[in-house]
Amino acid sequence: MGHIEFQHVTKRFENGYEALSDVSVEFAEGSMSFLTGHSGAGKSTFLKLLLRAEMPSRGRLLVNGVDIVQLPDKRLPRYRQNLGVVFQDHHLLAQRSVFENVALPLRVTGMREREVGRRVRAALTRVELLGKENLFPRHLSTGEQQRVGIARAVVTRPKILLADEPTGNLDPDLSTHIMDLFARFNQVGTTVIVASHDVPLIESMGLRILHLQAGRVIEDLPATRSIEEVTGLTLEVPQEADS
Amino acid sequence: MTRAAKDPWRGTGWQPFAWIRDHARISSESINFISTRIGTSFLVWLVVGIALALPAGLWILQINMEAMSQGWEGRPGLSVYFVTDASQEDIDVVAQVLEGNTDIASVALTTADQALTQFKEYSGLGDALDLLGENPLPASLTARFADRIDPLAVDNLVASLSQLAGVSEVVVEKTWLERLNDLSAVISRMGLVLAIMFGVGAVLVTASSVRLAIESRLDELRVLKMVGATQGQIRRPFLYFGAIYGFGGGVIAAMLIAFTLVVIEPPLQSLLGSYRQELQLAGFNMLFLLLILTIGCFLGVLGALLAVRQRLKHLELF
Repeated sequence: MGHIEFQHVTKRFENGYEALSDVSVEFAEGSMSFLTGHSGAGKSTFLKLLLRAEMPSRGRLLVNGVDIVQLPDKRLPRYRQNLGVVFQDHHLLAQRSVFENVALPLRVTGMREREVGRRVRAALTRVELLGKENLFPRHLSTGEQQRVGIARAVVTRPKILLADEPTGNLDPDLSTHIMDLFARFNQVGTTVIVASHDVPLIESMGLRILHLQAGRVIEDLPATRSIEEVTGLTLEVPQEADS
Repeated sequence: MTRAAKDPWRGTGWQPFAWIRDHARISSESINFISTRIGTSFLVWLVVGIALALPAGLWILQINMEAMSQGWEGRPGLSVYFVTDASQEDIDVVAQVLEGNTDIASVALTTADQALTQFKEYSGLGDALDLLGENPLPASLTARFADRIDPLAVDNLVASLSQLAGVSEVVVEKTWLERLNDLSAVISRMGLVLAIMFGVGAVLVTASSVRLAIESRLDELRVLKMVGATQGQIRRPFLYFGAIYGFGGGVIAAMLIAFTLVVIEPPLQSLLGSYRQELQLAGFNMLFLLLILTIGCFLGVLGALLAVRQRLKHLELF
Protein backbone atom coordinates (compact mmCIF):
# COMPACT_ATOMS: atom_id res chain seq x y z
CA MET A 1 0.00 0.00 0.00
CA GLY A 2 2.82 2.38 -0.78
CA HIS A 3 2.62 2.85 -4.53
CA ILE A 4 2.88 6.51 -5.49
CA GLU A 5 2.32 8.15 -8.85
CA PHE A 6 2.51 11.81 -9.83
CA GLN A 7 0.64 12.44 -13.09
CA HIS A 8 1.42 15.80 -14.71
CA VAL A 9 1.44 17.53 -11.34
CA THR A 10 1.91 21.28 -11.28
CA LYS A 11 1.93 23.42 -8.17
CA ARG A 12 1.60 27.15 -8.66
CA PHE A 13 1.31 29.37 -5.59
CA GLU A 14 -0.99 32.39 -5.33
CA ASN A 15 1.91 34.74 -5.98
CA GLY A 16 2.45 33.04 -9.35
CA TYR A 17 5.55 31.08 -8.33
CA GLU A 18 5.55 27.62 -9.88
CA ALA A 19 7.20 25.18 -7.46
CA LEU A 20 6.49 22.08 -9.55
CA SER A 21 5.87 21.99 -13.28
CA ASP A 22 4.19 19.08 -15.00
CA VAL A 23 5.89 16.40 -12.89
CA SER A 24 5.13 12.80 -13.79
CA VAL A 25 6.93 10.19 -11.76
CA GLU A 26 6.20 6.86 -10.15
CA PHE A 27 7.46 5.17 -6.99
CA ALA A 28 7.01 1.45 -6.64
CA GLU A 29 5.66 0.03 -3.42
CA GLY A 30 8.51 -0.71 -1.03
CA SER A 31 11.03 1.37 -2.96
CA MET A 32 13.48 3.91 -1.58
CA SER A 33 14.27 7.06 -3.54
CA PHE A 34 16.02 10.35 -3.04
CA LEU A 35 14.91 13.76 -4.25
CA THR A 36 17.73 16.18 -4.73
CA GLY A 37 18.27 19.64 -6.12
CA HIS A 38 19.13 23.13 -4.96
CA SER A 39 16.99 25.16 -2.59
CA GLY A 40 13.78 26.12 -4.33
CA ALA A 41 13.99 23.18 -6.73
CA GLY A 42 10.65 21.89 -5.45
CA LYS A 43 11.73 19.07 -3.12
CA SER A 44 9.73 20.24 -0.10
CA THR A 45 6.70 21.05 -2.21
CA PHE A 46 6.90 17.54 -3.65
CA LEU A 47 6.70 16.04 -0.16
CA LYS A 48 4.04 18.52 1.04
CA LEU A 49 1.82 17.46 -1.84
CA LEU A 50 2.15 13.85 -0.74
CA LEU A 51 1.31 14.86 2.82
CA ARG A 52 -1.53 16.91 1.37
CA ALA A 53 -0.31 19.93 3.22
CA GLU A 54 -0.54 21.57 -0.20
CA MET A 55 -2.87 20.87 -3.09
CA PRO A 56 -1.59 20.66 -6.66
CA SER A 57 -2.82 23.27 -9.11
CA ARG A 58 -3.05 20.65 -11.82
CA GLY A 59 -2.58 16.93 -12.24
CA ARG A 60 -3.32 13.78 -10.30
CA LEU A 61 -1.49 12.37 -7.34
CA LEU A 62 -2.22 8.70 -6.90
CA VAL A 63 -1.34 6.82 -3.76
CA ASN A 64 -2.16 3.18 -4.09
CA GLY A 65 -4.40 4.05 -7.00
CA VAL A 66 -6.43 6.67 -5.12
CA ASP A 67 -6.15 10.30 -6.18
CA ILE A 68 -5.43 11.98 -2.85
CA VAL A 69 -6.28 15.36 -4.33
CA GLN A 70 -9.88 14.19 -4.42
CA LEU A 71 -9.75 12.69 -0.95
CA PRO A 72 -12.47 14.26 1.24
CA ASP A 73 -11.16 16.17 4.26
CA LYS A 74 -12.75 13.72 6.66
CA ARG A 75 -10.65 10.86 5.21
CA LEU A 76 -7.44 12.85 5.40
CA PRO A 77 -6.57 11.85 9.00
CA ARG A 78 -6.78 8.18 8.12
CA TYR A 79 -4.55 8.76 5.08
CA ARG A 80 -1.99 10.66 7.16
CA GLN A 81 -1.97 7.89 9.76
CA ASN A 82 -0.37 5.75 7.05
CA LEU A 83 2.41 8.27 6.44
CA GLY A 84 5.53 8.87 8.46
CA VAL A 85 7.14 12.28 8.13
CA VAL A 86 10.56 13.43 9.26
CA PHE A 87 11.68 17.06 9.11
CA GLN A 88 15.06 18.68 9.29
CA ASP A 89 14.10 20.56 12.46
CA HIS A 90 12.33 17.57 14.02
CA HIS A 91 9.21 19.43 15.20
CA LEU A 92 9.39 17.66 18.52
CA LEU A 93 7.21 18.98 21.32
CA ALA A 94 9.51 20.56 23.88
CA GLN A 95 7.11 20.12 26.82
CA ARG A 96 6.66 16.41 26.22
CA SER A 97 9.05 13.61 26.99
CA VAL A 98 10.64 11.45 24.33
CA PHE A 99 8.08 8.75 25.08
CA GLU A 100 5.17 11.18 24.75
CA ASN A 101 6.52 12.57 21.49
CA VAL A 102 6.85 9.14 19.95
CA ALA A 103 3.51 7.97 21.35
CA LEU A 104 1.58 10.86 19.78
CA PRO A 105 0.78 9.20 16.41
CA LEU A 106 -0.35 6.02 18.19
CA ARG A 107 -2.60 7.89 20.57
CA VAL A 108 -4.54 9.51 17.74
CA THR A 109 -5.37 6.02 16.47
CA GLY A 110 -6.98 5.21 19.83
CA MET A 111 -4.53 2.44 20.63
CA ARG A 112 -4.51 0.86 24.09
CA GLU A 113 -1.88 2.24 26.45
CA ARG A 114 -0.18 -1.13 26.88
CA GLU A 115 0.21 -1.48 23.10
CA VAL A 116 1.35 2.16 22.85
CA GLY A 117 4.10 1.48 25.37
CA ARG A 118 5.20 -1.65 23.55
CA ARG A 119 5.31 0.06 20.16
CA VAL A 120 7.10 3.15 21.46
CA ARG A 121 9.79 1.07 23.14
CA ALA A 122 10.19 -0.96 19.93
CA ALA A 123 10.58 2.21 17.86
CA LEU A 124 13.05 3.70 20.32
CA THR A 125 15.03 0.48 20.26
CA ARG A 126 15.30 0.71 16.48
CA VAL A 127 16.71 4.23 16.69
CA GLU A 128 18.91 3.22 19.64
CA LEU A 129 17.27 5.55 22.14
CA LEU A 130 15.73 3.07 24.53
CA GLY A 131 16.44 4.23 28.05
CA LYS A 132 15.99 7.90 27.12
CA GLU A 133 12.22 7.81 26.89
CA ASN A 134 11.73 9.94 30.00
CA LEU A 135 14.06 12.70 28.88
CA PHE A 136 12.82 15.84 27.19
CA PRO A 137 14.02 16.91 23.74
CA ARG A 138 16.16 19.70 25.23
CA HIS A 139 18.20 17.05 27.04
CA LEU A 140 19.15 15.34 23.76
CA SER A 141 21.78 16.08 21.13
CA THR A 142 20.68 17.16 17.65
CA GLY A 143 21.30 13.68 16.29
CA GLU A 144 19.27 12.11 19.10
CA GLN A 145 16.45 14.58 18.51
CA GLN A 146 16.43 13.62 14.86
CA ARG A 147 16.24 9.96 15.82
CA VAL A 148 13.27 10.71 18.09
CA GLY A 149 11.65 12.36 15.09
CA ILE A 150 12.31 9.22 13.06
CA ALA A 151 10.95 7.00 15.83
CA ARG A 152 7.79 9.11 15.85
CA ALA A 153 7.53 8.76 12.07
CA VAL A 154 7.90 4.99 12.04
CA VAL A 155 6.11 4.03 15.26
CA THR A 156 2.82 3.48 13.43
CA ARG A 157 4.60 1.26 10.86
CA PRO A 158 3.60 3.59 8.03
CA LYS A 159 3.32 2.44 4.46
CA ILE A 160 5.11 5.55 3.25
CA LEU A 161 7.94 7.41 4.95
CA LEU A 162 8.74 10.96 3.82
CA ALA A 163 11.81 12.80 5.00
CA ASP A 164 12.60 16.43 4.25
CA GLU A 165 16.32 17.18 4.67
CA PRO A 166 16.61 14.79 7.62
CA THR A 167 20.39 15.16 7.79
CA GLY A 168 20.53 18.91 7.27
CA ASN A 169 21.87 19.69 10.73
CA LEU A 170 23.97 16.59 11.25
CA ASP A 171 27.64 15.75 10.82
CA PRO A 172 28.61 13.19 8.12
CA ASP A 173 28.77 10.20 10.48
CA LEU A 174 25.37 10.89 11.94
CA SER A 175 23.97 11.58 8.48
CA THR A 176 25.13 8.17 7.29
CA HIS A 177 23.62 6.58 10.37
CA ILE A 178 20.26 8.27 9.75
CA MET A 179 20.25 7.22 6.10
CA ASP A 180 21.04 3.70 7.17
CA LEU A 181 18.00 3.79 9.46
CA PHE A 182 15.77 4.83 6.55
CA ALA A 183 17.20 2.00 4.46
CA ARG A 184 16.38 -0.48 7.23
CA PHE A 185 12.79 0.74 7.38
CA ASN A 186 12.59 0.44 3.63
CA GLN A 187 13.81 -3.10 3.91
CA VAL A 188 10.65 -4.07 5.79
CA GLY A 189 8.44 -2.84 2.96
CA THR A 190 7.99 0.87 3.65
CA THR A 191 8.14 3.15 0.63
CA VAL A 192 10.74 5.78 1.51
CA ILE A 193 11.25 9.15 -0.18
CA VAL A 194 14.03 11.33 1.17
CA ALA A 195 14.58 14.92 0.04
CA SER A 196 18.17 15.96 0.54
CA HIS A 197 20.70 18.28 -1.04
CA ASP A 198 23.58 16.21 0.35
CA VAL A 199 24.49 14.77 -3.06
CA PRO A 200 27.68 12.92 -2.04
CA LEU A 201 25.83 11.11 0.73
CA ILE A 202 22.89 10.02 -1.39
CA GLU A 203 25.09 9.05 -4.29
CA SER A 204 27.06 6.84 -1.92
CA MET A 205 23.85 4.95 -1.12
CA GLY A 206 23.45 3.80 -4.73
CA LEU A 207 19.65 4.07 -4.66
CA ARG A 208 17.28 5.82 -7.04
CA ILE A 209 17.84 9.58 -7.29
CA LEU A 210 15.42 12.11 -8.79
CA HIS A 211 17.07 15.39 -9.60
CA LEU A 212 14.75 18.38 -9.44
CA GLN A 213 15.50 21.75 -10.94
CA ALA A 214 13.11 24.69 -11.08
CA GLY A 215 10.20 22.41 -10.35
CA ARG A 216 10.98 19.84 -13.03
CA VAL A 217 12.48 16.37 -12.82
CA ILE A 218 15.57 16.73 -14.95
CA GLU A 219 17.16 13.40 -14.10
CA ASP A 220 15.88 10.07 -12.81
CA LEU A 221 18.81 7.83 -11.92
CA PRO A 222 17.88 4.23 -11.18
CA ALA A 223 19.29 2.34 -8.20
CA THR A 224 22.67 0.70 -8.70
CA ARG A 225 22.48 -1.39 -5.52
CA SER A 226 19.83 -3.43 -3.80
CA ILE A 227 18.60 -2.35 -0.37
CA GLU A 228 20.22 -5.45 1.12
CA GLU A 229 23.53 -4.27 -0.23
CA VAL A 230 22.95 -0.85 1.29
CA THR A 231 22.09 -2.11 4.73
CA GLY A 232 24.37 -5.09 4.62
CA LEU A 233 21.50 -7.11 6.02
CA THR A 234 19.17 -9.68 4.60
CA LEU A 235 16.01 -9.44 6.61
CA GLU A 236 13.04 -11.67 6.69
CA VAL A 237 10.16 -9.27 6.46
CA PRO A 238 7.87 -9.89 9.42
CA GLN A 239 4.25 -10.42 8.54
CA GLU A 240 2.50 -7.89 10.75
CA ALA A 241 -1.14 -7.21 10.96
CA ASP A 242 -2.19 -3.73 9.89
CA SER A 243 -2.39 -1.36 12.80
CA MET B 1 -11.71 -4.72 -6.15
CA THR B 2 -12.82 -4.66 -2.51
CA ARG B 3 -14.09 -1.47 -0.90
CA ALA B 4 -11.00 -1.30 1.32
CA ALA B 5 -8.73 -1.59 -1.70
CA LYS B 6 -10.74 1.03 -3.55
CA ASP B 7 -10.68 3.45 -0.66
CA PRO B 8 -7.93 2.42 1.73
CA TRP B 9 -8.45 5.47 3.95
CA ARG B 10 -12.06 4.94 4.76
CA GLY B 11 -12.55 5.49 8.49
CA THR B 12 -13.02 2.54 10.78
CA GLY B 13 -16.15 4.13 12.22
CA TRP B 14 -16.77 5.20 15.78
CA GLN B 15 -14.77 3.15 18.25
CA PRO B 16 -16.34 3.74 21.67
CA PHE B 17 -13.47 2.42 23.77
CA ALA B 18 -10.89 4.42 21.83
CA TRP B 19 -13.14 7.46 22.15
CA ILE B 20 -13.45 7.03 25.90
CA ARG B 21 -9.69 6.47 26.26
CA ASP B 22 -9.03 9.64 24.27
CA HIS B 23 -11.45 11.65 26.43
CA ALA B 24 -9.93 10.30 29.63
CA ARG B 25 -6.41 11.18 28.49
CA ILE B 26 -7.37 14.62 27.16
CA SER B 27 -9.36 15.55 30.28
CA SER B 28 -6.43 14.59 32.47
CA GLU B 29 -4.02 16.58 30.28
CA SER B 30 -6.35 19.57 30.26
CA ILE B 31 -6.62 19.62 34.05
CA ASN B 32 -2.85 19.35 34.22
CA PHE B 33 -2.42 22.18 31.69
CA ILE B 34 -4.76 24.47 33.61
CA SER B 35 -3.28 23.60 36.98
CA THR B 36 0.16 24.65 35.76
CA ARG B 37 -1.30 28.04 34.87
CA ILE B 38 -3.43 28.42 37.96
CA GLY B 39 -2.97 32.20 38.27
CA THR B 40 -4.24 32.93 34.77
CA SER B 41 -6.93 30.30 35.11
CA PHE B 42 -8.14 31.83 38.38
CA LEU B 43 -8.53 35.23 36.72
CA VAL B 44 -10.63 33.61 33.97
CA TRP B 45 -12.74 31.82 36.58
CA LEU B 46 -13.23 35.08 38.44
CA VAL B 47 -14.35 36.99 35.37
CA VAL B 48 -16.68 34.20 34.23
CA GLY B 49 -17.89 33.82 37.82
CA ILE B 50 -18.81 37.50 38.12
CA ALA B 51 -20.53 37.35 34.75
CA LEU B 52 -22.61 34.40 35.94
CA ALA B 53 -23.18 35.67 39.47
CA LEU B 54 -24.94 38.89 38.52
CA PRO B 55 -27.85 37.44 36.53
CA ALA B 56 -28.01 34.38 38.78
CA GLY B 57 -28.13 36.62 41.85
CA LEU B 58 -30.94 38.66 40.31
CA TRP B 59 -32.78 35.44 39.56
CA ILE B 60 -32.47 34.39 43.21
CA LEU B 61 -33.73 37.82 44.27
CA GLN B 62 -36.66 37.63 41.90
CA ILE B 63 -37.84 34.18 42.96
CA ASN B 64 -37.55 35.20 46.61
CA MET B 65 -39.68 38.28 45.96
CA GLU B 66 -42.24 36.07 44.26
CA ALA B 67 -42.18 33.64 47.16
CA MET B 68 -42.55 36.53 49.57
CA SER B 69 -45.53 37.98 47.76
CA GLN B 70 -47.21 34.57 47.60
CA GLY B 71 -46.75 34.02 51.32
CA TRP B 72 -48.10 37.46 52.25
CA GLU B 73 -51.66 37.41 53.48
CA GLY B 74 -52.38 41.07 52.86
CA ARG B 75 -54.04 41.86 49.57
CA PRO B 76 -54.90 45.07 47.78
CA GLY B 77 -58.36 46.45 48.34
CA LEU B 78 -60.42 49.61 48.53
CA SER B 79 -61.70 52.02 51.14
CA VAL B 80 -65.12 53.66 51.06
CA TYR B 81 -65.24 56.97 52.95
CA PHE B 82 -68.64 58.25 53.96
CA VAL B 83 -69.80 61.80 54.38
CA THR B 84 -69.71 62.87 58.03
CA ASP B 85 -73.48 62.86 58.34
CA ALA B 86 -73.99 59.48 56.66
CA SER B 87 -76.61 57.36 58.39
CA GLN B 88 -76.03 53.87 59.73
CA GLU B 89 -78.49 52.70 57.06
CA ASP B 90 -76.26 54.18 54.28
CA ILE B 91 -73.27 52.41 55.75
CA ASP B 92 -75.14 49.10 56.01
CA VAL B 93 -76.25 49.32 52.37
CA VAL B 94 -72.68 49.83 51.15
CA ALA B 95 -71.44 47.04 53.45
CA GLN B 96 -74.08 44.68 52.02
CA VAL B 97 -73.11 45.58 48.45
CA LEU B 98 -69.49 44.82 49.20
CA GLU B 99 -70.18 41.59 51.07
CA GLY B 100 -72.38 40.45 48.22
CA ASN B 101 -69.62 40.94 45.67
CA THR B 102 -67.59 37.79 44.86
CA ASP B 103 -64.46 39.84 44.13
CA ILE B 104 -64.39 41.01 47.75
CA ALA B 105 -62.79 38.72 50.30
CA SER B 106 -63.50 40.68 53.48
CA VAL B 107 -65.09 43.92 54.67
CA ALA B 108 -64.23 45.83 57.85
CA LEU B 109 -65.97 48.89 59.27
CA THR B 110 -64.16 51.76 60.95
CA THR B 111 -66.67 53.97 62.64
CA ALA B 112 -66.19 57.71 62.90
CA ASP B 113 -65.34 57.32 66.60
CA GLN B 114 -62.79 54.59 65.91
CA ALA B 115 -61.25 56.73 63.16
CA LEU B 116 -60.91 59.61 65.58
CA THR B 117 -59.33 57.42 68.25
CA GLN B 118 -56.82 56.01 65.78
CA PHE B 119 -56.03 59.45 64.41
CA LYS B 120 -55.43 60.81 67.91
CA GLU B 121 -53.21 57.89 68.71
CA TYR B 122 -51.01 58.12 65.60
CA SER B 123 -51.01 61.86 64.91
CA GLY B 124 -50.36 63.22 68.41
CA LEU B 125 -52.95 65.94 67.71
CA GLY B 126 -55.44 64.70 70.30
CA ASP B 127 -55.63 68.00 72.25
CA ALA B 128 -56.22 70.02 69.10
CA LEU B 129 -58.97 67.68 67.98
CA ASP B 130 -60.65 67.97 71.38
CA LEU B 131 -60.97 71.71 70.76
CA LEU B 132 -63.12 71.08 67.66
CA GLY B 133 -65.99 69.79 69.74
CA GLU B 134 -67.34 67.42 67.14
CA ASN B 135 -65.73 64.54 65.25
CA PRO B 136 -64.57 65.76 61.78
CA LEU B 137 -63.71 62.28 60.56
CA PRO B 138 -66.13 60.08 58.60
CA ALA B 139 -66.81 56.37 59.03
CA SER B 140 -65.23 54.12 56.42
CA LEU B 141 -65.39 50.59 55.11
CA THR B 142 -62.20 48.75 54.16
CA ALA B 143 -62.59 45.88 51.70
CA ARG B 144 -59.91 43.39 50.62
CA PHE B 145 -59.99 41.95 47.13
CA ALA B 146 -60.10 38.27 46.42
CA ASP B 147 -57.00 36.56 44.89
CA ARG B 148 -57.41 37.55 41.29
CA ILE B 149 -59.53 40.49 40.34
CA ASP B 150 -60.08 41.99 36.96
CA PRO B 151 -59.11 45.71 36.92
CA LEU B 152 -62.32 46.37 34.93
CA ALA B 153 -64.41 44.80 37.69
CA VAL B 154 -62.67 47.10 40.20
CA ASP B 155 -63.55 50.12 38.07
CA ASN B 156 -67.20 49.02 37.82
CA LEU B 157 -67.40 48.40 41.55
CA VAL B 158 -65.89 51.82 42.34
CA ALA B 159 -68.37 53.47 39.97
CA SER B 160 -71.38 51.71 41.50
CA LEU B 161 -70.25 52.40 45.08
CA SER B 162 -69.73 56.07 44.31
CA GLN B 163 -73.42 56.31 43.30
CA LEU B 164 -74.69 55.08 46.66
CA ALA B 165 -76.13 57.43 49.26
CA GLY B 166 -73.74 58.71 51.94
CA VAL B 167 -70.59 57.77 50.01
CA SER B 168 -68.06 60.60 49.84
CA GLU B 169 -65.09 58.89 48.17
CA VAL B 170 -63.95 55.46 47.08
CA VAL B 171 -60.17 54.93 47.10
CA VAL B 172 -58.54 51.87 45.51
CA GLU B 173 -55.43 50.93 47.45
CA LYS B 174 -52.28 49.84 45.74
CA THR B 175 -50.45 48.01 48.48
CA TRP B 176 -46.71 47.56 48.88
CA LEU B 177 -47.32 44.04 47.69
CA GLU B 178 -48.39 45.24 44.28
CA ARG B 179 -45.33 47.40 44.14
CA LEU B 180 -43.26 44.39 45.13
CA ASN B 181 -44.78 42.41 42.29
CA ASP B 182 -44.03 45.23 39.86
CA LEU B 183 -40.48 45.41 41.14
CA SER B 184 -40.18 41.64 40.83
CA ALA B 185 -41.26 41.89 37.18
CA VAL B 186 -38.69 44.62 36.57
CA ILE B 187 -35.95 42.53 38.19
CA SER B 188 -37.03 39.49 36.20
CA ARG B 189 -36.68 41.31 32.91
CA MET B 190 -33.51 43.03 33.97
CA GLY B 191 -32.12 39.63 34.97
CA LEU B 192 -32.93 38.25 31.54
CA VAL B 193 -31.22 41.13 29.77
CA LEU B 194 -28.21 40.88 32.10
CA ALA B 195 -28.10 37.11 31.66
CA ILE B 196 -27.83 37.55 27.89
CA MET B 197 -25.26 40.35 28.15
CA PHE B 198 -23.08 38.68 30.75
CA GLY B 199 -23.54 35.28 29.10
CA VAL B 200 -22.09 36.73 25.90
CA GLY B 201 -19.34 38.27 28.05
CA ALA B 202 -18.55 34.88 29.62
CA VAL B 203 -18.42 33.27 26.18
CA LEU B 204 -16.04 35.94 24.88
CA VAL B 205 -13.77 35.76 27.93
CA THR B 206 -13.54 31.98 27.58
CA ALA B 207 -13.04 32.28 23.84
CA SER B 208 -10.15 34.67 24.27
CA SER B 209 -8.53 32.49 26.97
CA VAL B 210 -8.90 29.38 24.83
CA ARG B 211 -7.52 31.30 21.88
CA LEU B 212 -4.40 32.06 23.92
CA ALA B 213 -4.13 28.36 24.81
CA ILE B 214 -4.41 27.47 21.12
CA GLU B 215 -1.69 29.96 20.18
CA SER B 216 0.62 28.51 22.83
CA ARG B 217 0.13 25.00 21.42
CA LEU B 218 0.15 25.63 17.68
CA ASP B 219 3.24 23.48 17.11
CA GLU B 220 1.62 20.57 18.90
CA LEU B 221 -1.56 21.00 16.87
CA ARG B 222 0.41 20.98 13.63
CA VAL B 223 2.17 17.79 14.68
CA LEU B 224 -1.18 16.25 15.63
CA LYS B 225 -2.62 17.18 12.27
CA MET B 226 0.44 15.79 10.51
CA VAL B 227 0.20 12.43 12.27
CA GLY B 228 -3.46 12.07 11.37
CA ALA B 229 -5.46 13.44 14.28
CA THR B 230 -9.06 14.19 13.37
CA GLN B 231 -10.54 17.67 13.76
CA GLY B 232 -12.40 16.36 16.80
CA GLN B 233 -9.18 15.17 18.40
CA ILE B 234 -7.45 18.47 17.67
CA ARG B 235 -10.18 20.61 19.16
CA ARG B 236 -11.02 18.29 22.08
CA PRO B 237 -8.46 19.66 24.58
CA PHE B 238 -9.72 23.18 24.00
CA LEU B 239 -13.32 22.19 24.55
CA TYR B 240 -12.17 20.73 27.85
CA PHE B 241 -10.43 24.02 28.65
CA GLY B 242 -13.68 25.85 27.92
CA ALA B 243 -15.66 23.44 30.09
CA ILE B 244 -13.17 23.75 32.95
CA TYR B 245 -13.12 27.54 32.70
CA GLY B 246 -16.92 27.58 32.68
CA PHE B 247 -17.21 25.10 35.53
CA GLY B 248 -14.71 27.08 37.62
CA GLY B 249 -16.66 30.24 36.79
CA GLY B 250 -19.83 28.51 37.99
CA VAL B 251 -18.16 27.57 41.28
CA ILE B 252 -16.96 31.16 41.77
CA ALA B 253 -20.44 32.48 40.92
CA ALA B 254 -22.04 30.16 43.51
CA MET B 255 -19.51 31.30 46.09
CA LEU B 256 -20.13 34.96 45.30
CA ILE B 257 -23.89 34.52 45.61
CA ALA B 258 -23.53 32.58 48.87
CA PHE B 259 -21.28 35.32 50.22
CA THR B 260 -23.75 38.02 49.17
CA LEU B 261 -26.62 36.17 50.84
CA VAL B 262 -24.65 35.89 54.06
CA VAL B 263 -23.86 39.60 53.95
CA ILE B 264 -27.44 40.77 53.30
CA GLU B 265 -29.13 38.28 55.63
CA PRO B 266 -29.19 40.42 58.85
CA PRO B 267 -30.63 43.61 57.31
CA LEU B 268 -33.07 41.57 55.21
CA GLN B 269 -34.21 39.70 58.31
CA SER B 270 -34.77 43.03 60.02
CA LEU B 271 -36.69 44.45 57.06
CA LEU B 272 -38.96 41.42 56.76
CA GLY B 273 -39.46 41.36 60.53
CA SER B 274 -41.05 44.80 60.29
CA TYR B 275 -43.64 43.23 57.94
CA ARG B 276 -44.00 40.25 60.29
CA GLN B 277 -42.37 38.00 57.69
CA GLU B 278 -39.75 35.37 58.34
CA LEU B 279 -36.65 35.17 56.17
CA GLN B 280 -36.78 31.99 54.16
CA LEU B 281 -34.38 32.27 51.26
CA ALA B 282 -35.54 30.25 48.28
CA GLY B 283 -33.67 29.24 45.15
CA PHE B 284 -30.15 28.72 46.48
CA ASN B 285 -30.27 24.96 46.57
CA MET B 286 -28.64 21.92 44.98
CA LEU B 287 -30.65 22.34 41.79
CA PHE B 288 -29.47 25.93 41.50
CA LEU B 289 -25.86 24.87 41.99
CA LEU B 290 -26.19 22.17 39.34
CA LEU B 291 -27.83 24.66 37.01
CA ILE B 292 -25.19 27.34 37.42
CA LEU B 293 -22.38 24.80 36.95
CA THR B 294 -24.07 23.38 33.85
CA ILE B 295 -24.65 26.83 32.39
CA GLY B 296 -21.04 27.72 33.20
CA CYS B 297 -19.78 24.62 31.38
CA PHE B 298 -22.10 25.25 28.45
CA LEU B 299 -20.97 28.86 28.03
CA GLY B 300 -17.34 27.79 28.41
CA VAL B 301 -17.65 25.14 25.72
CA LEU B 302 -19.46 27.64 23.50
CA GLY B 303 -16.59 30.13 23.90
CA ALA B 304 -14.06 27.38 23.20
CA LEU B 305 -15.94 26.32 20.08
CA LEU B 306 -15.90 29.91 18.89
CA ALA B 307 -12.13 30.16 19.39
CA VAL B 308 -11.44 26.75 17.88
CA ARG B 309 -13.59 27.47 14.87
CA GLN B 310 -11.85 30.77 14.25
CA ARG B 311 -8.29 29.58 14.76
CA LEU B 312 -8.15 25.95 13.72
CA LYS B 313 -10.27 26.03 10.60
CA HIS B 314 -7.34 26.84 8.37
CA LEU B 315 -4.47 25.55 10.48
CA GLU B 316 -1.61 24.90 8.08
CA LEU B 317 0.97 22.19 8.45
CA PHE B 318 4.66 23.06 8.55
